[in-house]
Amino acid sequence: MKTHVMMHPRAEELLVERALRPLSDAEQAELASLGVDADADDSFDVAAAAVMVATTRVEPMPADMLDRLAERTGLVAPDFRRTLAGVAPPIATASQPAAPTPAPVIPIDRARKGRRVSAAWVAAAAAAGIVLATGAGMYLRRDAGTPTTPTATPAEARAELLGGGTRALAWTATADATAKGATGDVVWSDAKQRGYMRFVGLAANDPKAWQYQLWIFDRTRDEAFPVDGGVFDVSSTGEVIVPISAKLHVDQATLFAVTVERPGGVVVSKRERIVVTAKPS
Amino acid sequence: MEPLAVQEPLLARIAAGDRVAMRECLTRYSGLVWSIARRFELGDAEDAVQEIFLDLWKSAARYDGNVASESVFIAMIARRRLIDRRRMRGRRPVTESIADEPQVAAAGSSPEASAEASQAARALDRLKPDQRRVLVLSACHGMSHGEIAEATGLPLGTVKAHVRRGLISIRAALLGVQEEPA
Repeated sequence: MKTHVMMHPRAEELLVERALRPLSDAEQAELASLGVDADADDSFDVAAAAVMVATTRVEPMPADMLDRLAERTGLVAPDFRRTLAGVAPPIATASQPAAPTPAPVIPIDRARKGRRVSAAWVAAAAAAGIVLATGAGMYLRRDAGTPTTPTATPAEARAELLGGGTRALAWTATADATAKGATGDVVWSDAKQRGYMRFVGLAANDPKAWQYQLWIFDRTRDEAFPVDGGVFDVSSTGEVIVPISAKLHVDQATLFAVTVERPGGVVVSKRERIVVTAKPS
Repeated sequence: MEPLAVQEPLLARIAAGDRVAMRECLTRYSGLVWSIARRFELGDAEDAVQEIFLDLWKSAARYDGNVASESVFIAMIARRRLIDRRRMRGRRPVTESIADEPQVAAAGSSPEASAEASQAARALDRLKPDQRRVLVLSACHGMSHGEIAEATGLPLGTVKAHVRRGLISIRAALLGVQEEPA
């Protein structure tokens, strides 16, 4: 980290703000123009984090929640639950062996990060008996930058995005029972961070039993961790339009996939039931 | 206040893909992350914790022990995720009561303690009560300047000044540099 002890007052002000909220593009440009490499100076973030640690009354996380955390994230060795059951788990030692069993997420070669479209998901979809779309059903229009009317229905807002030139990517259904005969498309704008899914013929779900969840693969993120595009329900096999609720910023979407998950969704999908996928050509 | 029983560092092992280290990290820091998440969002704290640990798994290679302790680095990752979640949802924070004077935890007495937290606690004690309160609302609850002004009744300009000067003071204390006069 390159820490600037003495700095321009405006640069200092912007670095303080950056520790508290994301800076706008204009503010980032201004910071750069002041000769500050913001990415290299985390000192205000460290200060804010230290205040956080100093003022946080630490309480143990509920055991059942830890259990779910281990199960949902797949980040830990399989004996984690047994460890949690103990009152005082042993402190690590350097001689401890690595976890003998991989986590339940599909292994990804992390060296390929950001370079290829989610091969594991494609493979999983292929294993489910589908061929990914290669452009059929897609069309392009020039983006006119029309703002969405705040009161627009999902159908109207989707039409506005399409009218502005955002691409519609046709869904490709897998062999999953929910997707039998399902068609539709996904419309997503990286620039506007908005989008809509359209389905026709997708099986209705019982929200108390299971829900659909969208995943958005972003070229700039690790493909092992697609962006959660939101949990949703389908109540009719007729045409359904669902707004996308991306939980993180998506720089460049490379693949959309809908899975069947437990009610409320998951943080990391086990990818056991992929319903539909869509990808740019 | 002397911190810190020496604990074996975990983040380098996590960066190398060691899931046993991740398990130990969850065991050691889940309470801290859980407690931080609850300060930002009571309702969705569980989901937030999961996202934070996933971020940590991906970001561990960026950890530099010369810059921050592991607990502060983890708190930094947590704050960024929580701020991002707040921004994406665009909704007003749900926080614990803000009426009371923020309490400074007993830094150094728990596994989550760190030298920076102890230094930050001492620097917080040197701030004026209003300044301390405003800084904590901003840095630890994710409240915007406008929200703080509304909640405290302080003028917006005063809130901005308190946040800025407060964080500059904490940073100066951590860096061990003389603070410039305001």
